[in-house]
Amino acid sequence: MYERAAMVSGPRWRPAGWRALWPWRVAVNDKNPLGSRSDADVIRRIRAGDRAAFLEVYDRYAPLLLSVAARVLGDRREAEDVLQDVFTQIWHKSSGYDAELGSLSSWAVTLTRNKAIDRIRASTRRRRLMEEIAISAETAADAPMPSANELLHGRERAQHIRAALADLSADQRQVIELAFFAGLSQSEIAARLGQPLGTIKARIRRGMLRLREQLGDAL
Amino acid sequence: MIDERTEELASAYVLGALDPEEGRLFERRLGEDSELRQLVSELRGVSELVAGDSPALEPSAALRTRLLMDFGERVTASRTAPRRSHATVVPWALAASFAGLCLLFGYQSHGLREQLDVRQHRIDELSQIGDTLRAERADLRQAVLSLQQSNRLANMRIAVMSAQLKADPKAVAVSVWDNERQSGVVVVHHLKPPPTDKDYQLWIIDPRYPTPVDAGLLKVDSAGDGRVDFKARRPIENANQFAVTEEIKGGAPVPTLKAMVLAGA
Repeated sequence: MYERAAMVSGPRWRPAGWRALWPWRVAVNDKNPLGSRSDADVIRRIRAGDRAAFLEVYDRYAPLLLSVAARVLGDRREAEDVLQDVFTQIWHKSSGYDAELGSLSSWAVTLTRNKAIDRIRASTRRRRLMEEIAISAETAADAPMPSANELLHGRERAQHIRAALADLSADQRQVIELAFFAGLSQSEIAARLGQPLGTIKARIRRGMLRLREQLGDAL
Repeated sequence: MIDERTEELASAYVLGALDPEEGRLFERRLGEDSELRQLVSELRGVSELVAGDSPALEPSAALRTRLLMDFGERVTASRTAPRRSHATVVPWALAASFAGLCLLFGYQSHGLREQLDVRQHRIDELSQIGDTLRAERADLRQAVLSLQQSNRLANMRIAVMSAQLKADPKAVAVSVWDNERQSGVVVVHHLKPPPTDKDYQLWIIDPRYPTPVDAGLLKVDSAGDGRVDFKARRPIENANQFAVTEEIKGGAPVPTLKAMVLAGA
């Protein structure tokens, strides 16, 4: 469906009025959100200076990446700065992308998360963010905005993903979020939660493998 | 074959939870182990879905514009024509330059238009916010005035004092006391002027004090009318009652109750 929409109108110079509509215009259920083109192909075009390819990636993933950066930083303005860094890197240094290590979107998410974490390291905001993580699961469930997964993968699949996340034990979810969104290492999580390092490692592993098992068809 | 320990490392790696040294060692292994790369690829997909559970945010149009302008510069800088003879190069170079300029201006013009749209939109928003704030400020000012008014009235004590002497039945006075300002005004009518060796003296009865509080002398004209602004000699908390007595010239420290000419609450 996205592919058809892209062919008809293209995610290029959209008039401002369309911007508000686009998430619903591109109801995606493809595994490869960029249509039939592989991530490697898109990256090859970007490396060749193809702005249209770049804009496809930007229009497709910017809302997801902005939400990741905003969740880590807790500040939308700073999140946009991070997003600019990320897309500048995608445009100038996409050689860092290795298709064997995951999709373009998961690479971009990792890049965004890492840049956002770099920004808050040694910052006093880190403590507050960690505390917020404890309640993030509840607030996320009540959030009025559609999730990035809903925009990218469609409502049904987003619900499936949310159900899988909800199926994790609170302990597993907590350690995963502390690692991903607060940028804590396993040893830091162990110290913070007062748990043995081995317990934390096992929780992360079990949580991630459980998600992989449950989300197999969405990966 | 991937063991549990490796799964732990891979899970922590995709979440960015390995210590730096562990991370470096893991990446070294990653380069040599295709099975491990497959696992990392799948787990990265998982971490992306975890990240995507947050509410989506639409970036500002200005960000897209900034990126495009930045790339416009890069594209222009990187596009250099291959070397040819001058005869063929010059026309092509001119054409290419012209086309490049057109593209550049086109992109920049579009970028500027987007910027203008964004700024105009922002101006409209700010203008609306300004109107709303002005309206709210007017409402608030009105509310404050109203509160001040009600507060002032709440702090006012108005008392009507009637005659206490049969010999002077028409005498009447109205006293208005502002507790916040600790001052008041009394207006008297038809109160016979006191004897020449006497003065009328105003008193405030506040329950916190054992005796009435002196509020000064009350002068009336020959018709028995007078208006006096007064203050109490002691701080008043509750002006419960007012009274006027006839006292020795210049006033007395405590009232002579038998000589009370006006009283009221």
